Amino acid sequence: MNRTRCLLLLAGAVALGVWAWAGLFPNPQKIIEKRLIKLGALASFAPGEGNIKRLANAERMESLFAENIQVTLEAPGAGRRTFDHREELMQAALASRSFANRLAVSLVDINVVLDSDRQSATADATLKARIGQEDELFVQPLKFTFHKTNDEWLVTGIETVKSLH
Amino acid sequence: MRNEAECPGLWHWLQVITIGRRPKRTLARLVALVVICLITFTFVLIPVRVTGISMEPTYHDHSVNFINRLAYVRREPQRGDVVGVRLSPNPGAGTKIMLLKRVVGLPGEAVSFVGGHVCIDGDVQTEPYLKHVSDWEAPPTSLGPGQYYVVGDNRSMRPEEHEHGKAERAQIVGRVLFTKGP
Repeated sequence: MNRTRCLLLLAGAVALGVWAWAGLFPNPQKIIEKRLIKLGALASFAPGEGNIKRLANAERMESLFAENIQVTLEAPGAGRRTFDHREELMQAALASRSFANRLAVSLVDINVVLDSDRQSATADATLKARIGQEDELFVQPLKFTFHKTNDEWLVTGIETVKSLH
Repeated sequence: MRNEAECPGLWHWLQVITIGRRPKRTLARLVALVVICLITFTFVLIPVRVTGISMEPTYHDHSVNFINRLAYVRREPQRGDVVGVRLSPNPGAGTKIMLLKRVVGLPGEAVSFVGGHVCIDGDVQTEPYLKHVSDWEAPPTSLGPGQYYVVGDNRSMRPEEHEHGKAERAQIVGRVLFTKGP
C-alpha cells in the first residue's frame, strides 16, 4: 500500500470518526435545531389523519415545550395572540386542524445562539407553511427561546419577528 | 463469431463516450465540477424561485433567478437595485427564504409615498419599472446609517399586504443576477 493511499484511508477514518462523534454526542445547537425541525413536522397534518395519530402528535409536541411559556404571535391579517401556558398553545394547535384539512409546516434558516451560562438559548428560524390546497406560501420569521430543564432543551418562548421596519 | 468480435469494440466506444479514455481523469474532473458548483451555488450565486406577486410585473410568480452575493463586495446597494433581503435582521440567519425587493431609499434619506410614487426628501422619483397605478400614501420615514428602504414593484396591492420598509445593510444578501426592464 503506497503512502497516498494510506493518507487517504487515514483521512477517511478521521472523517468517519468525527461524523460518528457528532452523531452520538451532538452539541446543544444541533439538538435545538433538531427539536425545531421536529416541531414543524409535528405541527403538520394531512387530510384524513386519524384521531390516534393526531393525539399522539399533540402529545409529542407538548413534550417540546416548558409548562410556562411566553408566546406572542402577530401576523398581518390575523392580529395579535398571546399564550402564557403550554395547554393554551396546544389547544390552539388542535383547533387549527378544524380550519384547514392540510397543513405543511417546516422551520428553515435556523440559527441557534447559546447563552453564556449554556442553560438557555435563542434560535432564529423562518416558519414556512402551506395551508390547505392553497398554492400560496405563508412565511414568518420567528424567535424561539429555549431553556435546559432536566437535561432537555424546552421551548420557553416564541415571538414573531418583523423583517422590515 | 462476428457479433462477439464487434461487441467488445462497441463496449469500448460506449465507455469512451461516457467516461472518456482515462476514467481516473474523468473522475477527477467530475469531482472538481461538483465542488465548483457547490461553492458557486452556495456562496456566490444563490438560486431563487420567486413566490408571490409583490415584484410583478418585473419578476413573475414562480420565475427563477439568482442572487449575486459578490455584487456588494466593492460597492454599496444603489437606488433601483433589486436585492435579496434576509428575513431576520440577524446577520447569521440563513438564506433559504428571502424577500425580493427593490431599493428605493438610501441611508440618511427620508422616504414617503405620494399617489403610489416614492418621494425622497420630498421629491417625487421617476420609476420606469412601475406599471400599475396605485394610491399608496405614507408619511416620511427617515433612514438611519446602514438602513435602506425596500419595496416591491407591484403597488397595485394594498400596502398592508405588501411587505416593505427599512432593511438593515446586513439583511441585504446580494443583487439579483438577471435584471429586467429599464
